Amino acid sequence: MRQARDRAEETDESPRIGVFVCHCGHNIAGYLDVPALVESARALPGVVWAGDSLFTCSDAGLAEIRAAIVQHRLNRVVVASCTPRTHEPLFQAACEEAGLNRYLFELVNIRDQCSWVHMNDRELATAKARDLIRMGVARAALLEPLSETELPVQPEAAIIGGGMAGLTAALSLARRGFAVTLIEREPELGGILRHLDKLYPTMVDARELVARRVAEVREQANIEVLTSATVQAVKGYIGHYELTVRSRQFGLEMDLPVRAGVIIVATGAQEFKPFGLFGYGDDPRVLTQQELERLLAESNLQSPISNLVMIQCVGARDETHPYCGRICCLTAMKNAMRLKQQNPQTEVYLLYRDIEVHGTHFEDYYAQARDLGVIFTRYTPDAPPQVADGRVLVYDELLGMRLSIPYDLLVLSTPLVPAAGVHELARLLKVPVDEHGFFLEAHVKLRPLDFATDGIYLCGSAHWPAHLDEAISQALGAAARATTILSREQVRSSGAVARVEESLCRGCERCAQACEFGAIEFVELERAGVLLYRSGPSLSQKIARVNPVLCKGCGACAVVCPTGALQASHFTSRQVTTMIQAAMGH
Amino acid sequence: MDDLPKIIAFACNWCSYAGADLAGVSRIQYPPSTRVIRVMCSGRVSPMFILEALRAGADGVLVTGCHPGDCHYLSGNEKAVHNIELARSLLALLGIEPERLRLEWISAAEGARFAQVVKEFTEQIRQLGANKLQAAGDRQP
Amino acid sequence: MKEVLVLGGGIAGIQAALDLAEQGVRVHLVERAPSLGGRMAQLDKTFPTNDCSTCILSPKMVDCARHPNIVLHTCSELQAVAGEAGAFQVRVLQHPRYVDEERCTGCGECALKCPRKVPDAFNLGLSQRRAIYLYFPQAVPLVMTIDPAQCTYLLRGKCGLCRQVCPAGAIDFEQQDRELTLEVGAIIVATGYDFYDPTPLSQYGYRRYPNVITALEFERLISASGPTGGHLRRPSDGRPARRIGFVQCTGSRHVRHNRYCSTVCCVHSTKEAVLAWEHDPETRSYIFYTDLRGSGKGFREYMDRAAREYQVTFVHGRVAQIVEEDDHNPVIKYEEAATSRPQRMTVDLAVLATSLVPARDAPRVAEILGIELDEFGFVRVDPFAPTDTSRPGVLACGCCLGPADIPQSVAQASAAAARAAEWVLG
Repeated sequence: MRQARDRAEETDESPRIGVFVCHCGHNIAGYLDVPALVESARALPGVVWAGDSLFTCSDAGLAEIRAAIVQHRLNRVVVASCTPRTHEPLFQAACEEAGLNRYLFELVNIRDQCSWVHMNDRELATAKARDLIRMGVARAALLEPLSETELPVQPEAAIIGGGMAGLTAALSLARRGFAVTLIEREPELGGILRHLDKLYPTMVDARELVARRVAEVREQANIEVLTSATVQAVKGYIGHYELTVRSRQFGLEMDLPVRAGVIIVATGAQEFKPFGLFGYGDDPRVLTQQELERLLAESNLQSPISNLVMIQCVGARDETHPYCGRICCLTAMKNAMRLKQQNPQTEVYLLYRDIEVHGTHFEDYYAQARDLGVIFTRYTPDAPPQVADGRVLVYDELLGMRLSIPYDLLVLSTPLVPAAGVHELARLLKVPVDEHGFFLEAHVKLRPLDFATDGIYLCGSAHWPAHLDEAISQALGAAARATTILSREQVRSSGAVARVEESLCRGCERCAQACEFGAIEFVELERAGVLLYRSGPSLSQKIARVNPVLCKGCGACAVVCPTGALQASHFTSRQVTTMIQAAMGH
Repeated sequence: MDDLPKIIAFACNWCSYAGADLAGVSRIQYPPSTRVIRVMCSGRVSPMFILEALRAGADGVLVTGCHPGDCHYLSGNEKAVHNIELARSLLALLGIEPERLRLEWISAAEGARFAQVVKEFTEQIRQLGANKLQAAGDRQP
Repeated sequence: MKEVLVLGGGIAGIQAALDLAEQGVRVHLVERAPSLGGRMAQLDKTFPTNDCSTCILSPKMVDCARHPNIVLHTCSELQAVAGEAGAFQVRVLQHPRYVDEERCTGCGECALKCPRKVPDAFNLGLSQRRAIYLYFPQAVPLVMTIDPAQCTYLLRGKCGLCRQVCPAGAIDFEQQDRELTLEVGAIIVATGYDFYDPTPLSQYGYRRYPNVITALEFERLISASGPTGGHLRRPSDGRPARRIGFVQCTGSRHVRHNRYCSTVCCVHSTKEAVLAWEHDPETRSYIFYTDLRGSGKGFREYMDRAAREYQVTFVHGRVAQIVEEDDHNPVIKYEEAATSRPQRMTVDLAVLATSLVPARDAPRVAEILGIELDEFGFVRVDPFAPTDTSRPGVLACGCCLGPADIPQSVAQASAAAARAAEWVLG
């Protein structure tokens, strides 16, 4: 199996390695024979200088390294001291200051993983350190100078979704001076708030709030709004995306190109319509919460309503949607209170499994609802409410008896579910969705607004059902994440990324399948010569190409490449196997 | 001590290598049998590396990485499971005891566990005896 | 001016600092403790993925420490704020560590030799540390600190062993308070939270009965790097705790204590029960709740799985009292909701899921900053600009706003960074 050749071999210069063994005060020198380690290092192939230092990481120690690089014309540096996880960048910077590429540095861990853990056997600990240094030197000989690629950033953002989240993100970016294209699939901006009445807990009017936000957006010269617009195609990568947006905004259907450095997904969610449950769809008295709100907003409730029953967790916390809808208890309480305020005579029953009101302010909201006379009745999943002959039958645990409640209106609280077209959009953006269809972020805890693919961000109910203030926070957050890229002229990649030796690539695509970051693409290349796996006269073949900015350097591609065309720079197979050989004393 | 085995250990930068460091910070002692090779992800460890280590005479190979779900590169450690299984079946073909290969998940907070794994594995390898390839003089020059 | 002050070095402060630094803003990250990390550093694993807390936190702490645009001020507190949005003058007081940060390598030789043992606050007093100590093993900066209230040399001029043994000559008993004046365009408050001390809730027997502990104490016990190396041992006799009762809403949703819901306790008790089972599959956990809450991403499925696969039983019933039986076994007395009858359950260990409350010096900090607190003592924000405090130019994020889970705190932190950036870069 042919391996890609390391570039160090291709240069005229043979390795001139300097080895610096650190005492770390007493921490290493107290347990290992440092002078002996220096001696054995000196004798290793490629080593032209070896010495020791009390604290290599001190100013004096770093100065020694820089001086030695110059004085002895070192082209590789090995420091045997503590852990690369804390100190590698420090020494790399020192090397760079002396004119040596930072990737030509190797740190051998003879403290945290040697002297500190083998304090009672000087001989064996020293023998281990000797092996570790031999491994480090062997690897150093094969290290290559690597460059960090820079790609220009287009200081524009594309935001998909014009609800509150999208509007908020757009305004934040526009205020920072970036150009924004806001892409909304409906003819109007505003998202789900256009269908709501009042918003908890402030009871602000939803449509007034949205109208204000939309007006602010329309006033911003650097926000271009495309309504009746859908994304048809997405090409490119962080700093340089190209979207094709089909717009029917002016009655004509046009495909518009939108260029952006970053994309923000703010496509929201939709209310689950529980056809077949509790008579929904058959009985006109059975509504969802949004449908109730529509009636409240338009003052269209046909009074008098004696009894209104709300059932929580319809189509939630069950097999169809095992999750809790997060906003439904508050929505129900809000509408219940609106009703009670408008018609104090109406009895409002709220049948729940658990009252989901978290946070500081919502507990008081719940208390308010109870004070207004909303009747809360708990049911368990093994004894769910049933509907028959215009009545709701439910077992009340607290009273210890079955209730039979006649209803004039039955309102079902259903969860938000992913918006239509989510899978299609996810495919275009090459981002994942979770098992429910909500977009899947890079890391649930620490990167909730990022996708694993760099340069694409997420906010609002497209991520997960969100309260309004959460959607706004997330939108601002996504804007902040986006500006960490937009505010730069360029994005930089690490040098330790995968690399393709094109002459060896046969386009089998196994690498792309292994890559979770979308960093590998295939390009057609004209080739001279006969290709074994092609028939016919065509001499073009697809070749893997790694985007160094998207590549994370994990090396998964290198493992599956059958020809060795794909190598993980700085962790090449040869570099690893040479360490294995060196460990065994060869 | 002549019967101290030599174990090549692969440790991932984000979890197990950090766990090994923590063992050091905590001064937890363990046998000096391992020679650690740092990789960015346990998913980088190719079955080729494992075979190479055994062919070069290592008595055991220890591959360590992040716990499932914790991988810095999302599912590199799942790829590692696959690679190690492949390697294990190759070992069986070559007549090498499959117990000479071990895969462990060790987080950056599990210093004591790293030490424990090394202790246990070293003892296990000691019981197995030296790598037969080495004993037969069939060493890679 | 292009500088921002971030007050608080927990996960929210760290995220806000990084987001700003990445945009070219110079950030002064001020943290009261000797290290970054906040509460997250004290957790073992985080729900709903059960990933190791310090493992995911450490890289971010290191990024902060290494970022050319972030200046860390640990052991530091806010003293005064003057000026207005876009041009604040801030006074920060840095307390002495008595250790030179430039020279200390964190090797720990000093702590090995220090003769003075004191309760370790990081481990909530469940173990001891020395008068010279590292706040926790992955501390950033990785520098020792001397506790002036416990150090024999600083108190009485005797000892000084640490200075003798330090190989880097990093001990400096002459260090003094240092005052810094910073000019910043915006301030982000990320001062986090404390846990409610349930001692006044005498019906639960906290501090009277040794095997009644708080949720955070449980976290320290179950942490691999905690006082018992991750073994869940009963404080009274060191025996493994195999039957655990979790008491939800301890202090929360209570008219006389904290009216609000602490949001994360149903899920974190579930997590703790799951972790206990993972350590020992003989464990049986009982979580006593009034409303079982978990609506964040993945939370409900996590709790359902705990019930299915991890021997966690959710008991609907409010706990009225905890008493003790032989062997210091706590007995949980509760009202079973289904029957309205009083019941008792004897357990090995009772864990109180206590309220998340504002940090103890929140009123002082709010006064210095000139911002309003809400009726619960959390920072008041505009519901439609949820990281804007009552003072322009001062933003807030994380649990100083109210109990929140980590994803919420992180998202808010980025939001606060966006708003702060508008003041300094817009």
